[in-house]
Amino acid sequence: MKKIMIVEDEKTIREELRDLLENAGYHAQIIEDFQNSLEEIKESKADLILLDINIPNLNGELLLKEIRKESNVPVIMVTSRVGELDEVLSMSYGADDYITKPYHPTILLLRIQNIFKRMEQKVDSYQYKDLEFFPSKGILKKEEKEIELTKNEMIIFSYLLSNKGNIVTRDDLMTDLWNNEEYINDNALTVNISRLRSKLSELGYYEAIETRKGQGYILL
Amino acid sequence: MKLGNYIIDKIFSIFLILFCYFIILLLLLTFQVMFSLIIAITFVFFSMVFSLFFIDYFRKRKFYNEFIHNVNLLDKKYLVLETISKPTFYEGEILYQTLYEINKSMAENVKKNRKEVEDFKEYIEMWIHEVKIPISSLTLLCHNHKDRFNKTYLNQVKKLDNYIDQVLYYVRSNYTEDDFIIKKVSLEKVISKVLLKNKDDILENKIDIKVDLRGIEVYSDSKWLEFILNQIINNSIKYKKENIDSFIRISAKTMKDKVILSVLDNGIGIQKKDLNKVFRKSFTGENGRDKTKSTGMGLYIADKLCKKMGHVLEISSTHQESTELRIVFGKNNFYQVDK
Repeated sequence: MKKIMIVEDEKTIREELRDLLENAGYHAQIIEDFQNSLEEIKESKADLILLDINIPNLNGELLLKEIRKESNVPVIMVTSRVGELDEVLSMSYGADDYITKPYHPTILLLRIQNIFKRMEQKVDSYQYKDLEFFPSKGILKKEEKEIELTKNEMIIFSYLLSNKGNIVTRDDLMTDLWNNEEYINDNALTVNISRLRSKLSELGYYEAIETRKGQGYILL
Repeated sequence: MKLGNYIIDKIFSIFLILFCYFIILLLLLTFQVMFSLIIAITFVFFSMVFSLFFIDYFRKRKFYNEFIHNVNLLDKKYLVLETISKPTFYEGEILYQTLYEINKSMAENVKKNRKEVEDFKEYIEMWIHEVKIPISSLTLLCHNHKDRFNKTYLNQVKKLDNYIDQVLYYVRSNYTEDDFIIKKVSLEKVISKVLLKNKDDILENKIDIKVDLRGIEVYSDSKWLEFILNQIINNSIKYKKENIDSFIRISAKTMKDKVILSVLDNGIGIQKKDLNKVFRKSFTGENGRDKTKSTGMGLYIADKLCKKMGHVLEISSTHQESTELRIVFGKNNFYQVDK
């Protein structure tokens, strides 16, 4: 399980953020006392750090500079400052991403996912049971049988696959699609999901995507 | 400084001198002085008087003409004292000295005012950063506890956030000189951020989105541009037409010396008489009064920000049919220093 360190001085935010990340299948750790934030971050051996800029004692930018002296751990800067300058500065200190408050929780999760995906060994294919999934080509493969997915179906399937076994809401799927510049409407999402289902059936997985009424979908 | 006016100004002295001359003349005549002496005295007298006025006139003319000329030329007229040489006659010195004092006191006043505005601006910016924190908490709370807080809560929070952004950018557009950074911006990325922000509203209102940007990039400040586009898209959603298939089309085209980004909707449009007023501060036309409460600030701020960055915001609309907002980005080599 990936470990994410939350460095945020606002109690409600950090606790809700922890819930959000834990629900998404990460192990989240928070800092409550900012006297030794640098040491705590170093000791935690986290896989990713969510770093707020306005924290007591050592501010986020300085902290990031210190972290960068000895580690390449991915850092997402979080701030309520809305300015190009802050972003440029943070990136120049070595942040991997920058997000402004208030952010859409799903977008934050997508950004985190993206960073982890970038870090992983570059793989062209993912496994789902005995299916092989090639996101770059948009192909689902079972033994010799290949089925092509459209871009939208591919985005949906990728999202379901990386959240396998968890319920994914329609809103999450919609956010991911829109985040990938596919601005489709509700009907189109339904159509895409049923097409994806029938393509999976062709490969022998009839009930792979289950509908949970009022909640969303789940890839079993 | 005109000679005629100068003479009129000195008319009293001139009369006095003429009167004086006549008395001298009378005295001379009474004492039966030689005629040639009278001529000589007259000549000396008048050449003295004439040269006195002449010298006085030219000294003053030199100073005042330069003074008036420079005032007319200057764009910031209060700086005129820096451009003229100190006068060499008494009245001029008084004027010069007083103007200097007035200028100084005005400068202090302006400085005090600037400081106040700067403090106010700083406080507003700080306040906005502060208030974003509870808004952030609310967003997370709504997301994590969907059973307790439905979408309505989140929508209200989003509205709050948008109004707060309006304040921030109002302050930035009015009270700062150059708070932005121009760099290469991908239109697709900015549009994607704005659309994501408004996703729920767009889906709820069943508005169809078409984006055709073909990877076009412009030089702008991405945060400012995001705000501007957010105001435009917000309006498109707010003033959509009921009972038809609504759409928003976002497209861009590159021309020889400019890039035009267009946001077109088939909403209720704007009446012709209101069209040239939509960028005015606090302007709410028929639409703003009829449909929903409108502050009339969104487009005003957007236009101001565009002007600051050197873009042009244009609008065209057919009432009851469509509205198109265009941002024209100059393709100026000036910005391409990084190449």
